Order: sequence, then structure tokens, then C-alpha cells
Amino acid sequence: MNRPARLRRRTIALICVWTLPSLVFLTTTAIVYSAFRIAPPDRLDAAERAAVMATLRAALVDRPGAPPPAPAVHHPLAGPLIVTLWSGGEARARVDATGADVAAATAAAAGLLREHPGVRAMRPDDRARARLQVDLVAGTGPLGGDSWLFDRLAIPGIGDMLAINPGVDGVGAELDGKPVLVLPHELVGAKLVSAKRPGDALPDLAMGLDLTKLGQKLAARPGLPGTIAPRAMYRFRTDAFVEAPDHAAAPLALYRGLPPAPVLSGAVLRAAALRGGRYLVAHLLPSGRYIYEHDLSTGARTDAARAGSSYSMPRHAGTTYFLAELYRITKEAWLREPIERAFAHLAELLAQGRCEGQLPDGTPFDCVLDRGETVAELGSTALAVVALVEYQRATSDPRYLPLATKLAAWLLYMQRRDGSFRHRYDVKTHTPDDTVELLYYSGEAALALARIHAVTGEPRYAAAAERALDWLVDWYDFFMAGFFYGEEHWTCIAAEAVWPAARRDKYMEFCHGYGGFLRAQQAEVGEYPDEDDYAGAYNLTPFVAPYNTPAGSRTEAMISAYLLGKHHGSPDPRVAGQIRAALQYALGQQIRADSDYNVLGDGDGAMPGSPIDRNIRIDYVQHVCSAMIRASEWIDSDP
Amino acid sequence: MASRGPRSKQRRKPAAAATPTSSPPDRRGDSRDIRRWIYGGLDAVFAGGYAIAIWTVIPNRLPSAQLHLWTFPLATLVMAVGTLLGTPRGWRIAVVGGSLVVFSTVLLIVRIVISAAFLAGVYGAFGKAAATFALVMIALVIEVVAILPIVQIKYLLTRAGRRAYGVPVA
Repeated sequence: MNRPARLRRRTIALICVWTLPSLVFLTTTAIVYSAFRIAPPDRLDAAERAAVMATLRAALVDRPGAPPPAPAVHHPLAGPLIVTLWSGGEARARVDATGADVAAATAAAAGLLREHPGVRAMRPDDRARARLQVDLVAGTGPLGGDSWLFDRLAIPGIGDMLAINPGVDGVGAELDGKPVLVLPHELVGAKLVSAKRPGDALPDLAMGLDLTKLGQKLAARPGLPGTIAPRAMYRFRTDAFVEAPDHAAAPLALYRGLPPAPVLSGAVLRAAALRGGRYLVAHLLPSGRYIYEHDLSTGARTDAARAGSSYSMPRHAGTTYFLAELYRITKEAWLREPIERAFAHLAELLAQGRCEGQLPDGTPFDCVLDRGETVAELGSTALAVVALVEYQRATSDPRYLPLATKLAAWLLYMQRRDGSFRHRYDVKTHTPDDTVELLYYSGEAALALARIHAVTGEPRYAAAAERALDWLVDWYDFFMAGFFYGEEHWTCIAAEAVWPAARRDKYMEFCHGYGGFLRAQQAEVGEYPDEDDYAGAYNLTPFVAPYNTPAGSRTEAMISAYLLGKHHGSPDPRVAGQIRAALQYALGQQIRADSDYNVLGDGDGAMPGSPIDRNIRIDYVQHVCSAMIRASEWIDSDP
Repeated sequence: MASRGPRSKQRRKPAAAATPTSSPPDRRGDSRDIRRWIYGGLDAVFAGGYAIAIWTVIPNRLPSAQLHLWTFPLATLVMAVGTLLGTPRGWRIAVVGGSLVVFSTVLLIVRIVISAAFLAGVYGAFGKAAATFALVMIALVIEVVAILPIVQIKYLLTRAGRRAYGVPVA
């Protein structure tokens, strides 16, 4: 081969080497992305939603004669129009209708609704109170399992674990030539969207669609035996809206099952925190023990009286602390008796005397132990002290101070000389455990000591709190520190609580650094196009729904970080913005009249576990509402 | 203008063998080129390292993933054997082994890209954290797996590499 030919070949080869891989990667990306993308629906406007709803509402009224007129809404549909009738939080009827456009499908749905046996069986006043939800199928896409490129080459597990956008995507199948659909909220309610645990290291992390159960559910709809194979399923998205509670107002557009959030303000936060307080009071039994968990989809509630039922004394104490804090700030009289009832339960446990004793110098001490426990945990006692002291701060009533002092004596006993704490104590052998280190407890103990100093003025408590904080903050004195933080929200709350007894710049710097670390996890509006409802939450990726509790607990810490900055004369406006964003997110997540259409049981004021987890635990409400009430004091006045 | 020299250092040949394109292949190769031993040794070490990593650090219970992962130590081992043989057949084996490693690396990147595109399609975005993680993964794969075969194939295809294995220089 002559030289020019060789040069030409070489040039072509070089061009191929530098361009072909990128071309392959880009082409592959474009093919897969376009195959699986369902764009967010073009939503009906408020007037169109109202027109559709008027037709459907007319079908519920017991009026013989001609069917209600179809709305003048002529957008095309990508699938059926589905109407769900909610009554008392329960889906009492559902009709699926098709038509050439929204008007025709709405008219068909209205006809089906009029004849539906579930609707006919309802009393007229129940029908009048019931709320209608409409889902218009606006787009469909494959579910994985139907794309050879993806099936053969994707990283294993991606298609299983992350098959759908939970709460936004529904799943359907064509059975006997008819579409059978499981709506997004039905997938969430049936707990099918967070059914797998990717690893043992994170037991709380659940994600992934349960395709087996989903296949059975789809088959059961038309009464078919067996299950539907994933290959036959597809994803769909809907434009969803629900009637407002009073029906007179415009229907509420839904996204991931939630209507638009109230606009953040001090008054709105205060009302939301009080709503959370009412939820907790409604879930406090006469015994002074809380109903620990409540599932909004099923109405199931844990039985606090039953032996062996899950319960956490740190959370009992933490929740009571929030109620006392709410009372201190709002002075709402209805809070005082439940707080005292929850304390009475603590006192009842302490009266059993299983931990009570005397230190070598004769100081009496005590620690909190739940029924059946033989090992006392630092956090239970620390948060009990925080709660008891908060009551005194709120009421100026010192009745619980002797008890708090005995508990604080135990906390001081559990502290090591370097400021760290032993986290467990065997009450039978009276031995602290020097080997176990648990999350949160050291920060909670530091807060307890700071708070009891605030009411007693005794320097030993401030000194102990300072030693604890020094240990917690100095732990981060390593290379790359500042890039990684653990769960330090109690540390920052304690750092602010001990002011002005301890005025260390390093506490403020630590908490501002922690704030920066958390901000990097906080999505902004527009950052994830399909997930603006996650904006403000703490979330590493758009693939995993954020938990709601961190939006509260980390905001509590950030409020303390912001106040600490103010004490030092250098408040960080970025922290203030971070607090606002997180609280705006939390306001949208809280159950209120607008969003309680699918809530079973007394759920007003509740804070679900996440946008796709309808379970409530007492501490979810505690943390979020504590952040709300604390922020309500300054959010309108500070820049 | 002086003509462009060869990319690899050439050893001066006897006058009788001065026309490279027509020189007969030396079946024994040039045993004085120590790069054969360096590359062969590196290949063996990397093959062992990959095998240990797959066996102990990143075990995978999914057969397709296992199969793909095991192509790396196996193809690297093939490359090592070919490189150390030092014959024209060894040269071909080494080139094929190295190409397999490169192909497998490209396939791995394609798998990451497909998964990212799927997630972006379903969720509307891939996100900064996931994108950073994916890019770091790809950079690590290229650094740990792809650089050695790329550099080695480049060497094998040069005149010096061909001569070291007694392969005719085109």
C-alpha cells in the first residue's frame, strides 16, 4: 500500500477511534431515554377541571332523568379516564371510562357512576360529603422487560429496583383487549412501590416494585386467575385532581397524590405545628402512652397496651418534649393535660424503681426503662430530662425538677472524662457498657445537660454539656473533615441551647459546615423536572423518595445553627434559605383537610414517612412540627 | 522536509535486512525487547488482581453480571499468555486478548449509559450525585481496566512490537 493510502487509512482510523465510542454512547442513550420517557402531562386548567368535576358531581345527585351534560373539554386522551369516589378515607367506588376526548370520557364516567352499586348503596349525605378524584391517562411507556436493549445490557437490578417513578407512574396491562390499570395512589396504598430492600446494611431503605404481587393484583381486577407477566405490563401517567373539601372551591390538582402546599409564613407554620400537636394528643392513650404508629392507607394503628408491640422510650420522651415546646410557644391550654399524662406514664415507669440508686457520693439518680427492659439507654433518659425541663420553661412550674435532677445525675455518671458518654447501662449489674456507641444519644445527652443548666443555673451542667460538645465537634478533626458528617442534628441543637454559657466559635463553624453539607443534598425547584414536589427535602438522588423526618430533624438543627450565628453576630442567610425550603416541602407533606381525602382514621396533622410511605410514627410528627413551631417565631421577620 | 520517523525506537538492522517491508519474519522474535516481559508480568498481576477482586470484594449473584465481570481476568490472562509466549502466535493471542478487554470495557460503559438513560427517562432526571457517581465509575473502570490493554495493543501494533514477536512489519 502506498504512503498516501496508508495516511488516509490512518486518519480514518484515528477519527473512528475518537468519535465512534461517543457516537455509540450517545445513540444508546437517546434510544433508551426516548423509549422509557413519559413526559409530564399537559394538565387541564382550573376551569376545565371544574367543568369535568361538575359533570361527575351531578351524577352523584339522586336525580332521575337525562344524564348530566358533558363538559366542553375536548383534549384527547392517551387512555381511560378513571374516577375514584372517596368516602371516610376509603375508595367506595371506581369507574374507568373511555371516549374520543375528555368530554366524551367524562360523560361515560358520569353514566357509570350513576349506576355503580357502591354509589347507589351510599346515603345521600355521604355522597354529598364524599370527594371525587379524577385521573386522566396522559401518556404510557414500557415497564422494562419489553426492551431488548435494556433487558440484555442494563446493569442488573436497575429495572427491578427502579422500574417506576413511585406515586407518579401507574401500571397497566391489556387484558382481553381492555386496559386494566392500577393507579399511582393504589400502588402506594398497597405498598407495592417500596417492596424490596437492596441491602442488609440499610434496613430502613425499601424501594422497588413488587412485580409478583402487582401481576396478581392486575389479574384479579377482571377476575382472571394467576398473575400477569411483567412483559405484558406498561407504565402510565395521569393528570389527577380531587374535589376540594367543601366542594364549592375549585378542584385541587394532585401530584404524587398531594394537592399544592400552603405558602410558607409564620402563621401557616404555627397552624401546622398545632395541627401536628392535635394529631399527637389524639394518639395519646389514657395510660399516657402514645399510639406509636398509624397507617393512613389501612387505618391500622399499633396497640400500645399490647406487650411486645414496638415502642421507643426515647421517642416517647422526644414527642412529649415537642408538646411541651409547643405549649411554651403557643400557650394553648389543651396541650397541658396530655403533656402531664405522658409524664405520668414516665413517672409510673420510674416508680418501679428498677434503675433508681445512689452514686458513691450519695447523689440519688434514676434512669428511664420501658416495661420489660433490663438495659437503660442514654437517649431515653436524656430526652426525658429535655422534656421535663421544657415543661418547666413553658409553665414555670418546678414540679418535675427533682425528677429531672435525678435523671441528670445519671447522665453525668454516664459521661466519661473526655466528654463522651456510655450509651447503655445494665440495671441488674449496675454496669455501664463501654463498648456500644449508638446514633443520636451523645447529642441528646449534651442537650439535656444544656437545658437543665438553663433552668438550674448550676455550672456543672454547663461544663458537662461543653465537654460533650467539644468531644462531638472535635471528633471531626481529621483530613477531609467538613466533607462528611454523621447525623449531628442534636449536636447543633445542644450547641445553641448551651449559649451563652459556652460561646465557642467552633460550634457555630461546625453547624454552618454541617448546614453546607446538608444543603448539597437539598434539591431545588427545577433541578429534577418530574420531582419538583421533592424540592426542599434532603435527598441524594431523584430515584429514591426522600424521608420526611430529616426535613424536620435537620431543620431543627439548622434553626439552631441559624440562631447560633445570630448569637455570634453572623447569621448565615444560606441556612435561613435552607430552613425555608425544607419547611415549604414539609408543609406540602403534612396531612390537612385538602389532602385527607384518602386517609383512614384520625390523620389530620400527621406527617407520613415519605411521599410514598403512608405510615406515621410519632417522631415523624415530632421533628417536623418542632421545626415548624420554632421557625414560626422568626421566619416572617428575618431576611 | 525530513520524513516522519517511526513512532517506536528502531534497532539498526544489518544491511541485508534494510528493507523492512520485505524482511522475512523472524520466528523467534527479538528477545532483547524487555517490554514483552514487563507487559506480560503486568498482565498476569492484573489478571490475578481482577480475579481476587471479583471473588472477594465485588461478588455478584446475577449470572449475566458474573459472566461480564469474569471476562476481565480471563481476557487479561489470555493477553498475558500471548505476550509471554513471544512468538507470532503469541502476538495474535495477545492482540485478541487485549481487544477483548477493551471491548468488554466499552460494553461495561454502554451498560452504565443504558442504565443512566433508563433512569433519566423514568425519573425525568439523572441528578448531579448519580451523574458524578457514574462518571467516577467510568473513570475508574478506564483507569483500572482499560489503560493497560490500550497501551499494550498500541505497543504490539508498532513496528518494534511486531519485530519483537517476529511478526512481519507491513
